[in-house]
Amino acid sequence: MSALVNQYSTVRVYFTLMHRLGGVGLAAFERQRESQRSFAELSSELSRTQIDHLHTSLTQFRSALTHFASTHRDSIRKDPTFRHAFQQMCSSIGVDPLAGPRKGGWWAEMLGLGDWQHELGVQIVDICVSTRERNGGVIELGELVRMVSKLRGVESGVITEEDVIRSIKTLQPLGAGYEVIDVGNGKKMVRNVMKELDEDQAVVLAEAQTEGGRIVEEILVTRRGWTPERAKAALENMLLRDGLCWLDAQDERHGKAYWIPSAMSWDD
Amino acid sequence: MQLSTHTTPSGFLLPSIHSAHPFFTEQPNTATQCTFDEHWTRLILSYARYRHLFILRVEDAEVAGGDWDEILRNERINRRILPNYLASLISKLVSRNLAFYEPPKQTRSVVVLWRLPEEWADVLHSWATATGQLNSILTFYEITDPPVPSPLSGIPVSLLRRAITILTRSGRAQVIGVADGEGVRLLASGK
Repeated sequence: MSALVNQYSTVRVYFTLMHRLGGVGLAAFERQRESQRSFAELSSELSRTQIDHLHTSLTQFRSALTHFASTHRDSIRKDPTFRHAFQQMCSSIGVDPLAGPRKGGWWAEMLGLGDWQHELGVQIVDICVSTRERNGGVIELGELVRMVSKLRGVESGVITEEDVIRSIKTLQPLGAGYEVIDVGNGKKMVRNVMKELDEDQAVVLAEAQTEGGRIVEEILVTRRGWTPERAKAALENMLLRDGLCWLDAQDERHGKAYWIPSAMSWDD
Repeated sequence: MQLSTHTTPSGFLLPSIHSAHPFFTEQPNTATQCTFDEHWTRLILSYARYRHLFILRVEDAEVAGGDWDEILRNERINRRILPNYLASLISKLVSRNLAFYEPPKQTRSVVVLWRLPEEWADVLHSWATATGQLNSILTFYEITDPPVPSPLSGIPVSLLRRAITILTRSGRAQVIGVADGEGVRLLASGK
Protein backbone atom coordinates (compact mmCIF):
# COMPACT_ATOMS: atom_id res chain seq x y z
CA MET A 1 0.00 0.00 0.00
CA SER A 2 2.63 2.52 1.02
CA ALA A 3 4.63 1.68 -2.11
CA LEU A 4 1.77 2.98 -4.25
CA VAL A 5 1.52 6.14 -2.20
CA ASN A 6 5.23 6.77 -2.65
CA GLN A 7 4.96 6.23 -6.35
CA TYR A 8 2.16 8.75 -6.57
CA SER A 9 4.16 11.34 -4.65
CA THR A 10 7.13 10.78 -6.92
CA VAL A 11 4.93 11.27 -9.95
CA ARG A 12 3.63 14.56 -8.57
CA VAL A 13 7.12 15.85 -7.90
CA TYR A 14 8.25 14.91 -11.39
CA PHE A 15 5.28 16.70 -12.89
CA THR A 16 6.05 19.85 -10.95
CA LEU A 17 9.70 19.74 -12.04
CA MET A 18 8.84 19.28 -15.69
CA HIS A 19 6.49 22.14 -15.48
CA ARG A 20 9.14 24.37 -13.91
CA LEU A 21 11.81 23.43 -16.38
CA GLY A 22 9.45 24.07 -19.24
CA GLY A 23 10.89 21.40 -21.52
CA VAL A 24 12.99 21.97 -24.69
CA GLY A 25 11.37 22.72 -28.04
CA LEU A 26 8.02 21.72 -29.59
CA ALA A 27 8.61 17.91 -29.50
CA ALA A 28 9.51 18.12 -25.92
CA PHE A 29 6.43 20.18 -25.31
CA GLU A 30 4.29 17.52 -26.99
CA ARG A 31 5.96 14.83 -24.93
CA GLN A 32 5.39 16.80 -21.84
CA ARG A 33 1.72 17.27 -22.69
CA GLU A 34 1.46 13.51 -23.25
CA SER A 35 3.06 12.83 -19.88
CA GLN A 36 0.86 15.32 -18.18
CA ARG A 37 -2.18 13.56 -19.57
CA SER A 38 -0.98 10.13 -18.37
CA PHE A 39 -0.08 11.38 -14.95
CA ALA A 40 -3.40 13.19 -14.74
CA GLU A 41 -5.20 9.96 -15.52
CA LEU A 42 -3.15 8.16 -12.92
CA SER A 43 -3.91 10.77 -10.33
CA SER A 44 -7.62 10.58 -11.07
CA GLU A 45 -7.69 6.84 -10.77
CA LEU A 46 -5.95 6.61 -7.49
CA SER A 47 -6.87 9.25 -5.09
CA ARG A 48 -5.30 9.19 -1.71
CA THR A 49 -8.66 8.40 -0.12
CA GLN A 50 -9.12 5.35 -2.23
CA ILE A 51 -5.71 4.05 -1.31
CA ASP A 52 -6.34 4.53 2.35
CA HIS A 53 -9.71 2.84 2.02
CA LEU A 54 -8.18 -0.18 0.32
CA HIS A 55 -5.56 -0.38 3.03
CA THR A 56 -8.19 -0.43 5.76
CA SER A 57 -10.30 -3.00 3.95
CA LEU A 58 -7.40 -5.37 3.59
CA THR A 59 -6.55 -5.09 7.28
CA GLN A 60 -10.16 -5.70 8.20
CA PHE A 61 -10.38 -8.63 5.87
CA ARG A 62 -7.27 -10.21 7.30
CA SER A 63 -8.49 -9.93 10.88
CA ALA A 64 -11.93 -11.21 9.87
CA LEU A 65 -10.31 -14.23 8.29
CA THR A 66 -8.18 -14.79 11.40
CA HIS A 67 -11.21 -14.52 13.62
CA PHE A 68 -13.11 -16.93 11.39
CA ALA A 69 -10.21 -19.35 11.51
CA SER A 70 -9.89 -19.37 15.27
CA THR A 71 -13.63 -19.64 15.79
CA HIS A 72 -13.89 -22.58 13.49
CA ARG A 73 -10.64 -24.28 14.37
CA ASP A 74 -12.41 -27.25 15.88
CA SER A 75 -14.66 -27.67 12.86
CA ILE A 76 -11.67 -27.54 10.59
CA ARG A 77 -9.96 -30.18 12.65
CA LYS A 78 -12.89 -32.56 12.85
CA ASP A 79 -14.92 -32.10 9.69
CA PRO A 80 -13.26 -32.91 6.37
CA THR A 81 -16.01 -31.22 4.31
CA PHE A 82 -15.54 -27.99 6.23
CA ARG A 83 -11.78 -28.34 5.93
CA HIS A 84 -12.11 -28.80 2.19
CA ALA A 85 -14.34 -25.73 1.86
CA PHE A 86 -11.89 -23.67 3.89
CA GLN A 87 -9.04 -24.82 1.68
CA GLN A 88 -11.03 -23.80 -1.41
CA MET A 89 -11.75 -20.38 0.07
CA CYS A 90 -8.09 -19.81 0.78
CA SER A 91 -7.11 -20.82 -2.74
CA SER A 92 -9.70 -18.56 -4.31
CA ILE A 93 -8.34 -15.48 -2.57
CA GLY A 94 -4.81 -16.52 -3.37
CA VAL A 95 -3.74 -17.64 0.07
CA ASP A 96 -1.66 -20.81 0.11
CA PRO A 97 -2.23 -22.40 3.50
CA LEU A 98 1.02 -24.31 3.26
CA ALA A 99 3.15 -21.24 2.55
CA GLY A 100 4.27 -18.67 5.05
CA PRO A 101 7.19 -17.75 7.23
CA ARG A 102 6.39 -20.35 9.83
CA LYS A 103 6.68 -24.08 9.24
CA GLY A 104 3.30 -25.53 8.35
CA GLY A 105 2.30 -22.25 6.77
CA TRP A 106 -1.04 -20.76 7.39
CA TRP A 107 -2.43 -23.89 8.94
CA ALA A 108 0.12 -23.50 11.69
CA GLU A 109 0.10 -19.74 12.01
CA MET A 110 -3.54 -18.76 11.86
CA LEU A 111 -5.30 -21.90 12.89
CA GLY A 112 -2.97 -23.30 15.48
CA LEU A 113 -3.27 -26.47 13.45
CA GLY A 114 0.49 -26.91 13.36
CA ASP A 115 0.29 -29.72 15.86
CA TRP A 116 -2.54 -31.39 14.01
CA GLN A 117 -0.70 -31.22 10.72
CA HIS A 118 2.52 -32.40 12.32
CA GLU A 119 0.81 -35.30 14.04
CA LEU A 120 -0.77 -36.44 10.79
CA GLY A 121 2.59 -36.27 9.03
CA VAL A 122 4.22 -38.40 11.72
CA GLN A 123 1.42 -40.97 11.51
CA ILE A 124 1.76 -41.20 7.74
CA VAL A 125 5.49 -41.80 8.04
CA ASP A 126 4.82 -44.37 10.75
CA ILE A 127 2.45 -46.39 8.55
CA CYS A 128 4.71 -46.10 5.50
CA VAL A 129 7.77 -47.31 7.36
CA SER A 130 5.97 -50.19 9.02
CA THR A 131 4.49 -51.47 5.73
CA ARG A 132 7.66 -51.01 3.72
CA GLU A 133 8.85 -54.53 4.42
CA ARG A 134 5.65 -55.91 3.02
CA ASN A 135 5.13 -53.70 -0.04
CA GLY A 136 8.64 -52.52 -0.91
CA GLY A 137 7.95 -48.86 -0.24
CA VAL A 138 4.84 -48.29 -2.32
CA ILE A 139 1.44 -48.19 -0.68
CA GLU A 140 -1.98 -47.61 -2.19
CA LEU A 141 -3.44 -44.28 -1.08
CA GLY A 142 -6.75 -45.75 0.06
CA GLU A 143 -5.00 -48.29 2.23
CA LEU A 144 -2.78 -45.57 3.73
CA VAL A 145 -5.82 -43.47 4.60
CA ARG A 146 -7.55 -46.50 6.18
CA MET A 147 -4.54 -47.38 8.28
CA VAL A 148 -3.91 -43.81 9.42
CA SER A 149 -7.56 -43.46 10.36
CA LYS A 150 -7.37 -46.66 12.36
CA LEU A 151 -4.27 -45.37 14.12
CA ARG A 152 -5.94 -42.08 14.97
CA GLY A 153 -9.13 -43.59 16.31
CA VAL A 154 -12.67 -42.33 16.03
CA GLU A 155 -12.48 -39.25 18.27
CA SER A 156 -10.05 -37.25 16.24
CA GLY A 157 -12.37 -36.87 13.27
CA VAL A 158 -12.33 -38.17 9.73
CA ILE A 159 -9.21 -37.97 7.56
CA THR A 160 -9.65 -37.79 3.80
CA GLU A 161 -7.38 -38.59 0.87
CA GLU A 162 -7.04 -34.84 0.34
CA ASP A 163 -5.72 -34.39 3.89
CA VAL A 164 -3.16 -37.12 3.36
CA ILE A 165 -2.07 -35.77 -0.03
CA ARG A 166 -1.64 -32.29 1.47
CA SER A 167 0.36 -33.71 4.35
CA ILE A 168 2.61 -35.66 1.99
CA LYS A 169 3.48 -32.39 0.24
CA THR A 170 4.91 -31.15 3.54
CA LEU A 171 6.95 -34.34 3.84
CA GLN A 172 8.83 -33.75 0.62
CA PRO A 173 11.63 -31.77 2.30
CA LEU A 174 12.44 -34.95 4.25
CA GLY A 175 14.17 -36.14 1.12
CA ALA A 176 12.93 -39.66 1.65
CA GLY A 177 11.08 -39.82 -1.62
CA TYR A 178 7.55 -39.17 -0.34
CA GLU A 179 5.41 -38.73 -3.43
CA VAL A 180 1.89 -39.38 -4.62
CA ILE A 181 1.77 -41.16 -7.97
CA ASP A 182 -1.27 -41.49 -10.20
CA VAL A 183 -1.24 -44.94 -11.80
CA GLY A 184 -4.44 -44.51 -13.76
CA ASN A 185 -7.85 -46.21 -13.29
CA GLY A 186 -8.46 -43.61 -10.59
CA LYS A 187 -5.87 -45.22 -8.33
CA LYS A 188 -3.09 -43.38 -6.53
CA MET A 189 -0.03 -44.84 -4.88
CA VAL A 190 2.26 -43.28 -2.30
CA ARG A 191 5.95 -43.91 -2.79
CA ASN A 192 8.07 -43.61 0.31
CA VAL A 193 11.47 -44.83 -0.78
CA MET A 194 14.17 -43.09 -2.77
CA LYS A 195 13.90 -45.47 -5.71
CA GLU A 196 11.59 -43.80 -8.18
CA LEU A 197 8.89 -45.80 -9.89
CA ASP A 198 9.66 -45.98 -13.55
CA GLU A 199 6.80 -45.79 -16.04
CA ASP A 200 6.72 -49.51 -16.68
CA GLN A 201 6.37 -50.19 -12.98
CA ALA A 202 3.49 -47.75 -12.76
CA VAL A 203 1.75 -49.68 -15.53
CA VAL A 204 2.37 -52.99 -13.75
CA LEU A 205 0.89 -51.51 -10.58
CA ALA A 206 -2.17 -50.30 -12.46
CA GLU A 207 -2.79 -53.70 -14.06
CA ALA A 208 -2.24 -55.50 -10.76
CA GLN A 209 -4.89 -53.30 -9.16
CA THR A 210 -7.52 -54.68 -11.52
CA GLU A 211 -6.61 -58.29 -10.67
CA GLY A 212 -6.55 -58.01 -6.90
CA GLY A 213 -2.76 -57.90 -6.90
CA ARG A 214 -1.91 -60.75 -9.28
CA ILE A 215 0.02 -60.04 -12.47
CA VAL A 216 1.60 -62.23 -15.15
CA GLU A 217 3.60 -61.42 -18.29
CA GLU A 218 0.67 -62.40 -20.50
CA ILE A 219 -1.53 -59.60 -19.12
CA LEU A 220 1.07 -56.98 -20.02
CA VAL A 221 1.54 -58.45 -23.48
CA THR A 222 -2.12 -58.74 -24.41
CA ARG A 223 -3.50 -55.66 -22.67
CA ARG A 224 -0.63 -53.24 -23.13
CA GLY A 225 1.04 -54.58 -26.25
CA TRP A 226 4.38 -55.08 -24.54
CA THR A 227 6.95 -57.52 -25.86
CA PRO A 228 7.41 -60.61 -23.70
CA GLU A 229 10.96 -59.47 -22.94
CA ARG A 230 9.81 -56.09 -21.68
CA ALA A 231 7.16 -57.69 -19.49
CA LYS A 232 9.58 -60.20 -18.08
CA ALA A 233 12.22 -57.56 -17.38
CA ALA A 234 9.78 -55.27 -15.61
CA LEU A 235 8.40 -58.02 -13.41
CA GLU A 236 11.75 -59.57 -12.59
CA ASN A 237 13.19 -56.18 -11.63
CA MET A 238 10.27 -55.45 -9.36
CA LEU A 239 10.72 -58.87 -7.79
CA LEU A 240 14.46 -59.24 -7.41
CA ARG A 241 15.89 -55.76 -7.51
CA ASP A 242 13.21 -53.62 -5.89
CA GLY A 243 11.31 -56.03 -3.65
CA LEU A 244 8.01 -54.62 -4.86
CA CYS A 245 6.33 -57.92 -5.57
CA TRP A 246 6.19 -61.53 -4.45
CA LEU A 247 6.53 -64.76 -6.43
CA ASP A 248 3.91 -67.50 -6.59
CA ALA A 249 5.42 -70.62 -8.17
CA GLN A 250 2.26 -72.70 -7.90
CA ASP A 251 0.04 -70.62 -10.15
CA GLU A 252 -2.46 -72.96 -11.83
CA ARG A 253 -2.67 -71.09 -15.10
CA HIS A 254 0.82 -69.78 -15.71
CA GLY A 255 3.10 -71.70 -13.37
CA LYS A 256 4.68 -68.47 -12.23
CA ALA A 257 2.72 -65.41 -11.14
CA TYR A 258 3.72 -62.18 -9.45
CA TRP A 259 1.76 -60.55 -6.66
CA ILE A 260 1.98 -56.89 -5.71
CA PRO A 261 1.33 -56.61 -1.98
CA SER A 262 0.48 -52.93 -2.22
CA ALA A 263 -2.31 -53.86 -4.66
CA MET A 264 -3.74 -56.59 -2.47
CA SER A 265 -6.38 -55.68 0.06
CA TRP A 266 -5.25 -56.56 3.55
CA ASP A 267 -7.59 -57.08 6.40
CA ASP A 268 -4.94 -56.55 9.04
CA MET B 1 -8.47 -60.68 -3.25
CA GLN B 2 -9.33 -60.13 0.36
CA LEU B 3 -6.59 -61.19 2.74
CA SER B 4 -7.92 -61.86 6.16
CA THR B 5 -7.23 -64.04 9.16
CA HIS B 6 -8.94 -67.43 9.28
CA THR B 7 -9.82 -69.78 12.10
CA THR B 8 -9.04 -73.44 11.43
CA PRO B 9 -11.32 -76.33 12.38
CA SER B 10 -9.13 -76.95 15.42
CA GLY B 11 -9.70 -73.35 16.53
CA PHE B 12 -6.32 -71.90 15.59
CA LEU B 13 -6.25 -68.37 14.20
CA LEU B 14 -4.17 -68.13 11.02
CA PRO B 15 -2.61 -64.73 10.20
CA SER B 16 -3.75 -62.88 7.09
CA ILE B 17 -0.47 -63.53 5.29
CA HIS B 18 -1.41 -67.22 5.25
CA SER B 19 -4.13 -66.28 2.73
CA ALA B 20 -1.55 -64.90 0.30
CA HIS B 21 -0.64 -67.26 -2.56
CA PRO B 22 3.07 -66.30 -2.60
CA PHE B 23 3.49 -67.15 1.07
CA PHE B 24 3.87 -70.81 0.02
CA THR B 25 6.73 -70.11 -2.40
CA GLU B 26 10.32 -69.60 -1.31
CA GLN B 27 11.13 -66.03 -2.41
CA PRO B 28 14.19 -65.20 -4.52
CA ASN B 29 14.41 -61.72 -3.01
CA THR B 30 16.31 -62.19 0.26
CA ALA B 31 14.73 -59.26 2.07
CA THR B 32 11.25 -60.54 1.25
CA GLN B 33 12.22 -64.07 2.28
CA CYS B 34 13.48 -62.77 5.62
CA THR B 35 10.04 -61.37 6.30
CA PHE B 36 8.42 -64.65 5.27
CA ASP B 37 10.87 -66.58 7.48
CA GLU B 38 9.75 -64.52 10.47
CA HIS B 39 6.11 -65.20 9.73
CA TRP B 40 6.60 -68.93 9.19
CA THR B 41 8.72 -69.27 12.33
CA ARG B 42 6.09 -67.54 14.43
CA LEU B 43 3.38 -69.66 12.81
CA ILE B 44 5.15 -72.98 13.34
CA LEU B 45 5.98 -72.24 16.98
CA SER B 46 2.55 -70.94 17.91
CA TYR B 47 0.77 -73.81 16.14
CA ALA B 48 3.01 -76.33 17.90
CA ARG B 49 2.24 -74.68 21.23
CA TYR B 50 -1.48 -74.62 20.48
CA ARG B 51 -1.71 -78.26 19.42
CA HIS B 52 1.03 -79.45 21.79
CA LEU B 53 3.02 -80.84 18.85
CA PHE B 54 6.72 -81.64 19.22
CA ILE B 55 7.95 -83.19 15.99
CA LEU B 56 8.07 -81.53 12.58
CA ARG B 57 9.28 -83.45 9.53
CA VAL B 58 9.92 -82.62 5.88
CA GLU B 59 7.59 -85.55 5.29
CA ASP B 60 4.75 -83.41 6.65
CA ALA B 61 5.00 -81.35 3.45
CA GLU B 62 5.23 -84.43 1.26
CA VAL B 63 2.25 -86.39 2.53
CA ALA B 64 -1.13 -85.05 3.49
CA GLY B 65 -3.04 -86.13 6.56
CA GLY B 66 -0.41 -85.23 9.16
CA ASP B 67 -0.73 -83.02 12.23
CA TRP B 68 0.58 -79.90 10.53
CA ASP B 69 -1.79 -79.74 7.54
CA GLU B 70 -3.68 -76.78 8.93
CA ILE B 71 -0.66 -74.54 8.53
CA LEU B 72 1.36 -76.26 5.80
CA ARG B 73 -1.59 -76.22 3.42
CA ASN B 74 -4.28 -73.73 2.49
CA GLU B 75 -7.09 -75.54 0.68
CA ARG B 76 -9.00 -72.30 0.11
CA ILE B 77 -6.33 -70.99 -2.24
CA ASN B 78 -5.03 -74.39 -3.33
CA ARG B 79 -1.51 -73.85 -2.07
CA ARG B 80 0.86 -75.89 0.06
CA ILE B 81 4.40 -75.47 1.25
CA LEU B 82 6.74 -77.65 -0.81
CA PRO B 83 9.22 -80.05 0.85
CA ASN B 84 12.32 -78.04 -0.15
CA TYR B 85 10.88 -74.88 1.33
CA LEU B 86 9.95 -76.65 4.56
CA ALA B 87 13.42 -78.19 4.79
CA SER B 88 14.89 -74.70 4.42
CA LEU B 89 12.60 -73.30 7.15
CA ILE B 90 13.47 -76.19 9.43
CA SER B 91 17.20 -75.55 9.05
CA LYS B 92 16.59 -71.90 9.94
CA LEU B 93 14.72 -72.91 13.08
CA VAL B 94 17.66 -75.08 14.07
CA SER B 95 20.22 -72.35 13.49
CA ARG B 96 18.16 -70.05 15.70
CA ASN B 97 18.04 -72.73 18.42
CA LEU B 98 14.28 -72.96 18.11
CA ALA B 99 14.48 -76.64 17.14
CA PHE B 100 17.03 -79.47 17.11
CA TYR B 101 17.51 -82.38 14.74
CA GLU B 102 16.33 -85.61 16.27
CA PRO B 103 17.63 -88.23 15.72
CA PRO B 104 20.99 -86.48 15.32
CA LYS B 105 22.96 -86.56 12.06
CA GLN B 106 19.95 -86.19 9.80
CA THR B 107 18.08 -83.15 8.57
CA ARG B 108 14.56 -84.31 7.90
CA SER B 109 13.08 -84.33 11.36
CA VAL B 110 13.23 -81.88 14.27
CA VAL B 111 11.92 -81.40 17.76
CA VAL B 112 10.31 -77.97 17.86
CA LEU B 113 11.18 -75.83 20.86
CA TRP B 114 7.99 -73.87 21.44
CA ARG B 115 9.27 -73.88 25.00
CA LEU B 116 12.99 -73.60 25.62
CA PRO B 117 14.71 -76.46 27.48
CA GLU B 118 15.14 -74.09 30.46
CA GLU B 119 11.41 -73.53 30.57
CA TRP B 120 10.73 -77.26 30.28
CA ALA B 121 13.07 -77.79 33.23
CA ASP B 122 10.94 -75.45 35.34
CA VAL B 123 7.71 -77.08 34.14
CA LEU B 124 9.05 -80.52 35.07
CA HIS B 125 10.14 -79.40 38.50
CA SER B 126 6.84 -77.61 39.21
CA TRP B 127 4.84 -80.62 38.08
CA ALA B 128 6.81 -82.97 40.30
CA THR B 129 6.36 -80.59 43.23
CA ALA B 130 2.64 -80.12 42.64
CA THR B 131 1.98 -83.85 42.34
CA GLY B 132 3.99 -84.64 45.44
CA GLN B 133 6.58 -86.62 43.51
CA LEU B 134 9.68 -84.87 44.73
CA ASN B 135 12.37 -87.21 45.97
CA SER B 136 10.69 -90.26 44.39
CA ILE B 137 12.37 -92.03 41.55
CA LEU B 138 10.46 -91.56 38.31
CA THR B 139 11.07 -93.41 35.08
CA PHE B 140 11.15 -91.33 31.94
CA TYR B 141 8.06 -93.15 30.78
CA GLU B 142 6.14 -92.07 33.88
CA ILE B 143 6.97 -88.47 32.98
CA THR B 144 6.20 -88.60 29.26
CA ASP B 145 3.07 -90.75 29.64
CA PRO B 146 1.54 -90.06 33.04
CA PRO B 147 -1.87 -91.55 33.84
CA VAL B 148 -3.19 -88.04 34.45
CA PRO B 149 -2.34 -85.79 31.48
CA SER B 150 0.24 -83.17 32.41
CA PRO B 151 1.99 -80.30 30.61
CA LEU B 152 4.73 -82.82 29.86
CA SER B 153 2.53 -85.44 28.23
CA GLY B 154 4.03 -86.53 24.94
CA ILE B 155 7.32 -84.74 25.45
CA PRO B 156 10.04 -86.51 23.41
CA VAL B 157 12.66 -88.22 25.53
CA SER B 158 15.41 -86.24 23.81
CA LEU B 159 13.87 -83.01 25.04
CA LEU B 160 13.13 -84.40 28.48
CA ARG B 161 16.77 -85.39 28.81
CA ARG B 162 17.85 -81.83 28.05
CA ALA B 163 15.47 -80.45 30.69
CA ILE B 164 16.78 -82.92 33.26
CA THR B 165 20.39 -82.00 32.45
CA ILE B 166 19.55 -78.38 33.22
CA LEU B 167 17.99 -79.39 36.53
CA THR B 168 20.99 -81.52 37.52
CA ARG B 169 23.25 -78.50 36.99
CA SER B 170 21.36 -76.61 39.68
CA GLY B 171 21.08 -79.66 41.90
CA ARG B 172 17.36 -80.05 41.39
CA ALA B 173 17.56 -83.49 39.81
CA GLN B 174 19.61 -86.68 39.94
CA VAL B 175 19.74 -89.16 37.07
CA ILE B 176 19.25 -92.71 38.26
CA GLY B 177 19.71 -95.93 36.32
CA VAL B 178 16.62 -98.08 36.69
CA ALA B 179 15.88 -101.69 35.77
CA ASP B 180 14.88 -101.23 32.13
CA GLY B 181 15.73 -97.69 31.26
CA GLU B 182 16.43 -94.33 32.71
CA GLY B 183 14.99 -92.65 35.70
CA VAL B 184 15.29 -89.42 37.59
CA ARG B 185 14.85 -88.22 41.12
CA LEU B 186 13.71 -84.65 41.39
CA LEU B 187 14.92 -82.79 44.42
CA ALA B 188 13.41 -79.91 46.31
CA SER B 189 16.08 -77.30 45.81
CA GLY B 190 19.69 -76.97 44.80
CA LYS B 191 22.28 -77.62 47.49
